Amino acid sequence: MTNEPASGVARTVPSRRIVYGEALRRFMLRPESTAIAAVLILFVVFTILSPALFPTKLTYISIMAIASELGILSIGVTLLMIGGHFDLSVGAVLGLTSYVCVVLMRDFGLSPVIAAPVAVAVGALLGGLNGYVVVRFRIHSFVVTLGTMLIWRGVLIALTGGFPMTVDIPAVFKNVMSGPLIFGFRMSMVWFFAITLLATILLTRSRLGNWIQARGQNENAARNLGVPVDRVTIILFMLTSALAAVAGIIQVARFSSVDALRGEGMELQAVAVTVIGGTLLSGGYGSVVGTMLGAITFGMIQVGLVLAGAPGHFFRTLTGVIVVGAVILNTDVARRMARSKPLGGFKRSSAAADAAIQAETAAGKGEAG
Amino acid sequence: MSEPLNPDQPPTRARPSGAGSGELEASRRTIEPIPPGAVPVMEADHISKGFGATTALVDVSLKAYSGRILALLGDNGAGKSTLIKILSGVFPPDGGTLRFNGQDVVLRNPAEARERGIATVFQDLAVCELLSVTRNIVLGREPQKGFGPFKFLDLKKADAMARSALHQLGVRWERGLDEKGINISGGERQSLAIARAMFFGSSLLILDEPTSALAVRQAGKVLDHILTARDQGQAVILITHNFRHALSVADDITVLAQGRVAGHFRRDETDLDALTDLVARVG
Repeated sequence: MTNEPASGVARTVPSRRIVYGEALRRFMLRPESTAIAAVLILFVVFTILSPALFPTKLTYISIMAIASELGILSIGVTLLMIGGHFDLSVGAVLGLTSYVCVVLMRDFGLSPVIAAPVAVAVGALLGGLNGYVVVRFRIHSFVVTLGTMLIWRGVLIALTGGFPMTVDIPAVFKNVMSGPLIFGFRMSMVWFFAITLLATILLTRSRLGNWIQARGQNENAARNLGVPVDRVTIILFMLTSALAAVAGIIQVARFSSVDALRGEGMELQAVAVTVIGGTLLSGGYGSVVGTMLGAITFGMIQVGLVLAGAPGHFFRTLTGVIVVGAVILNTDVARRMARSKPLGGFKRSSAAADAAIQAETAAGKGEAG
Repeated sequence: MSEPLNPDQPPTRARPSGAGSGELEASRRTIEPIPPGAVPVMEADHISKGFGATTALVDVSLKAYSGRILALLGDNGAGKSTLIKILSGVFPPDGGTLRFNGQDVVLRNPAEARERGIATVFQDLAVCELLSVTRNIVLGREPQKGFGPFKFLDLKKADAMARSALHQLGVRWERGLDEKGINISGGERQSLAIARAMFFGSSLLILDEPTSALAVRQAGKVLDHILTARDQGQAVILITHNFRHALSVADDITVLAQGRVAGHFRRDETDLDALTDLVARVG
């Protein structure tokens, strides 16, 4: 910062220090930066704690198995949270849709090719119900989904009678959903990455994604500009619950069973994953890739602590510490960085941009006329 | 107190903009009378509105013409916000008629008003703080490419749209179009909202206190942009309680007091003292 160029001197070649500094500044501005840091730091720490066990393929496979199922669920929660809402019912929806899937295969003898999509549709329906109540009665989604969480969990316990239900699932379906086919990694990882990619495209490159972000940042402005805010909200809830159903089906395929407590507690884990991934709790801003990394962080803590021989309850404590740390980094630091100026030589303003504006307008008018 | 001269004059035309001194000069020395037979873009005809026991508006009439700025002056509680909410379709009047381009209209909701080209810029609703300038400008009307379910944002086109929207209003955007809303000043937000409305085909701009929260120099810039909008044929209704701002840019001035029209003037028929007197007397 010592050699900040005088204004107007745009051609000074910036020093290497400034280039790296600016690169770091921009990286820190990304929502994913905290989660990347968490993954790297945890990797180093766990490798030091158990050098023989942690950096092995078997460990990575376990981490990804945990991360994939939780991650798919969390991606829905992330989109919803960016849109300014909460969904506490995803765990219960995961359980109930898993039950639907199992019953359709076991009691109705349906092929999983039919049972799975039906379960996803049921999920979307349950989500649509959440969304409808939120929009129609203007109740905070936190309360609405707290209610539906209790309702669906109660229904699931009643339906299963509290006992696990097992089902025979064709091997092909098991393998496609969750089989260890990718050099030992489970197929759920492929689904996880694919859904991450699709959700990222949706969020950053589609009109709905723009509306989701706008809804989370300034609902009134969005409404005032003609964004169908209520429709966006309902679609978001449907998407979230549908993804919960997908995660549920993967678990059904892995365990060949469902039980009354399936998915319990995952709603809060999903919030933790989302927050570690850099999504603001207040909505409006976030990243699906961050959530993917957040889910991997979660898997690493879970597996790493076991390998390090730590008592089981450490898992919750360490997760809590990381969540709080991530929130501090994501809100406080990010806000300060967002207001910071680019380092020397990287002025955002430029006469060139102005000229481009002129040229573009001339061209645009030519085309229009 | 002398502020530096505003270097960001819009390219459209030079006009006196002594915004820095706080003494805004009139934008046009003489006001042309409204040509006979001209049809107002928006006409409110004997509008009244009450909420329960309170009467908000009684028998209020006004006309907004293309290429003219109508300033709506009045104290807090005079009925200004009720009137603009009626004009922008938030709720219907209890009595009276709205005419848009000479035809009776019933505005059932804000979306319908917007589709007709009535753009209302509320003071606090202009910007999503974590979206880029471009995404803010095209919000709700994002250009897309692709087909069927595979439609994506056309970000290049969106940037081009944002550029021409800003250029059309003479807004010199010094920073990148990827600048986030949080870094856009209050005055810039107003200008951005006006540019957006015009670019998407508004013919009536309703501006709710666009200068009230702004520093003097910023207010001057926003007023400049309002003049540019007028020069490009927009009918402008400017709600303000700042008499100076009204006198510096408006062609016509309507004073509201306690839900009624207390007076209607051409700008060159009145002055600061007369307006202050009027509002003090009836307000």
